[in-house]
Amino acid sequence: MRDYIIRRLLGLIPILIGISLAIFIIMQLIPGDVVSGILGIEQTPELRAMWEKKLGLDKPLVEQYLTWIGKAVTGDFGESFRTGAPVFPEILSRFKISAELAIMGCVFAWIIALPLGIISALKRNSVIDRIVRVIALMGVSIPNFASATLVILFLAKGFNYHTPVKYVGLFENFGTNMEIMVIPALILGSVMAGSVMRMTRSSMLEVLRQDYIKAVRAKGASERVTIFRHALRNSSIPIITLIGMQIGSLMGGTVVIEQIFSIPGLGQFTLTGINQRDYPVVQGCVLFIAVLYVLVNLLVDILYTYIDPRITYN
Amino acid sequence: MKKLLALVLVMMLALTVVPSVLAEGNVLRYGMETEPAGFDPHTCSSHASIRVMSQVYNQLVDLDENLVVIPEIAKTWEVSDDLLTYTFHLADNVTFHSGRKMTAADVKYSFERILSPELGALGNSSSYAGDIETIETPDDYTVVMRLKSPSVTFLSNVSSIYCSIVDKDVVEAKGDLLQADGGTGPYTLGEYVPDNHVFVNAYADHFDPAFKASFDAIEFYTMTDANSRLNALRAGTIDLIVADTAMLDLVKPEDPIQEISYQTRDYFALFMNCTRAPYDDVRVRQAINYALNREEIIDFAFNGQAAVSGFVPASMGHWAVDVTEKDYYTQNIEKAKALLAEAGYPDGFETVITVGLNDGIRDIGMVVQQQLEAIGIKADVQNEENATYIDKWKAHDLDIMVCQNGAGSDPNRGVAFFFSTTGSANIQNYSNARVDELCVLGAGEADVDKREAIYKEAINIILDECATATVACPKAYFLATPALQGYAPNASSTSNFAGVTIAK
Repeated sequence: MRDYIIRRLLGLIPILIGISLAIFIIMQLIPGDVVSGILGIEQTPELRAMWEKKLGLDKPLVEQYLTWIGKAVTGDFGESFRTGAPVFPEILSRFKISAELAIMGCVFAWIIALPLGIISALKRNSVIDRIVRVIALMGVSIPNFASATLVILFLAKGFNYHTPVKYVGLFENFGTNMEIMVIPALILGSVMAGSVMRMTRSSMLEVLRQDYIKAVRAKGASERVTIFRHALRNSSIPIITLIGMQIGSLMGGTVVIEQIFSIPGLGQFTLTGINQRDYPVVQGCVLFIAVLYVLVNLLVDILYTYIDPRITYN
Repeated sequence: MKKLLALVLVMMLALTVVPSVLAEGNVLRYGMETEPAGFDPHTCSSHASIRVMSQVYNQLVDLDENLVVIPEIAKTWEVSDDLLTYTFHLADNVTFHSGRKMTAADVKYSFERILSPELGALGNSSSYAGDIETIETPDDYTVVMRLKSPSVTFLSNVSSIYCSIVDKDVVEAKGDLLQADGGTGPYTLGEYVPDNHVFVNAYADHFDPAFKASFDAIEFYTMTDANSRLNALRAGTIDLIVADTAMLDLVKPEDPIQEISYQTRDYFALFMNCTRAPYDDVRVRQAINYALNREEIIDFAFNGQAAVSGFVPASMGHWAVDVTEKDYYTQNIEKAKALLAEAGYPDGFETVITVGLNDGIRDIGMVVQQQLEAIGIKADVQNEENATYIDKWKAHDLDIMVCQNGAGSDPNRGVAFFFSTTGSANIQNYSNARVDELCVLGAGEADVDKREAIYKEAINIILDECATATVACPKAYFLATPALQGYAPNASSTSNFAGVTIAK
């Protein structure tokens, strides 16, 4: 197991080199650059040259890349071109906010999806099953920017309410923080819930058809034990795979939700960075999210061995 | 189970629906459409940054809504007859937010910082402070600036936020002012949470009672989503938001919302390449002017919310020329066809209209394409991606290009920058010896009435030669709670909250 983890972590290196190169090149290729952004209509050739020199953009691209990546491996992602603030500490503080949102979204999704998925599988083709399937389909097919916009409109028109605009941290004021985060997290969770519900249902159905479930029932185990101890555990592999993948895409999903609800998370940080062509910010954020994504997937793979002892990585 | 689930969902929602929090104390909550990009008045140009910096910094002088220079840090000033030496007499009660007294040495330091070759300050060009040759401080409250060449626009140039007076001690301690406060303004820079909010707090010791803070604090919030901004205003969580014409349609009469707007100094126009056939023929350019129905364009592109305008818009006060009096600003298809026939194009011709950058420009391109069809001109509208559009703009590679330009705060920019033969933004390659001569005369004439006559002559020549077909001057919009009183933004000053109140 230890060898496997080390192997996987070593495998991170080429992935990160590839991603860092890709994002560096993409930032160079997208139209408009940071100097045009800073100078706007005041742009003159002299001013341009001054800024390129100041930001190190007058150096050859290869040198720029190597300088950046050389510092990045030591955890120094440079400083924002726009605000002068170091990027890495900012990423960490923004990540906490996004992670809170994503975790709350996941928890809401599981609370809704797992029981409903199980019920749906057990009462296959019943009225409940059909209702659950329709809800799941709605969850999957309504994009979160649409539901978020509708929720905001509904709350403002119907209840004269809008979530607080001033962001307050979780440990600063728990109540206000929850007031800010619950609605966005519910919306985020609803999309995820749809697919988790469908996956739970289908993988439960598959397991319930297997012979060993018959054997469990034949030996007189109660329905509760049959389902939670024997069926759910075996059907959870695909569900966990899905959740692992979703945590990654959740980081992407938070971009839209953060923007709509003005939550200063990692997604919003990246987006503002892109809009302002703030290269160190965008490159740092993308690299950070990539590492995170790979680590979550590694965690999921390790989790498999605990759920299903038959799986080994040797 | 279903009931239980419904109950849980309703409870979750109920938990979050508590009465909206009213602002504590006398505070203005302002929802902005973009995130500020730093707060150094010498290097930051984003709209959101300027709104915040306007509260924190002062300049030597200011412009009123009629573009007349008014005192700020400099209480009086003298200009030498040769327009080369400007002497400023400073107020003696100005203090920085650190409490330190501001003197002539700080003014000298601020302009030296702007002119330093390393900083890349926005004010380091001849449109602002770039023409300064030497700065002397004979005493603590007098500053003498000598220019490289005569200029009448120098005072309005240094009224820009890019020429703010900054605290040397703060710059030296922090390295820059991107996140630091080195100002003398009515508010101090307060709490900043990037991508969410920045607060400015009233500065009790501000030197000028006329600009004293009327709020305990102004809270600027970044709310990039327009729908969220509007609904936060509806719910009373925000007092003032930046709006656009599309948003105005969403405001219903029963909504407790007031609309605030002002005429900008921007204008949209069709620029025609005066050195490329067929636009090298003045009759063709006139025909295009006659072919346009500008009201129709404004209805389509700006929901009717813009004014027909020349390139020195009415918002520039006495400098403006009323284009609606010009014959060719009223659509006349017959006359347009006759002019085209006279120029040798009785059946019209094919051309390219280049558009890009923003929706206003693109919408204008589409309507113009249809309107030109009526006189036989088949236009291909090429919607360019921003960088390509700018490249074409720089290379003057155009038949017709739809542009949005800023006329600036002085006709010298509005005329010389865009229409003199060597003007930096003369993308239509227009050249007229008399206009060039007038631009030189205008830049060196101190008498306002004489200057006005000079620029009006130039403007009329350019209009009559149809070097451009200007369309409209758009408005800028804000939406606010009806309780907000006294906020009257104009093109010279969009973020002046002196005297503004919120009725409780």
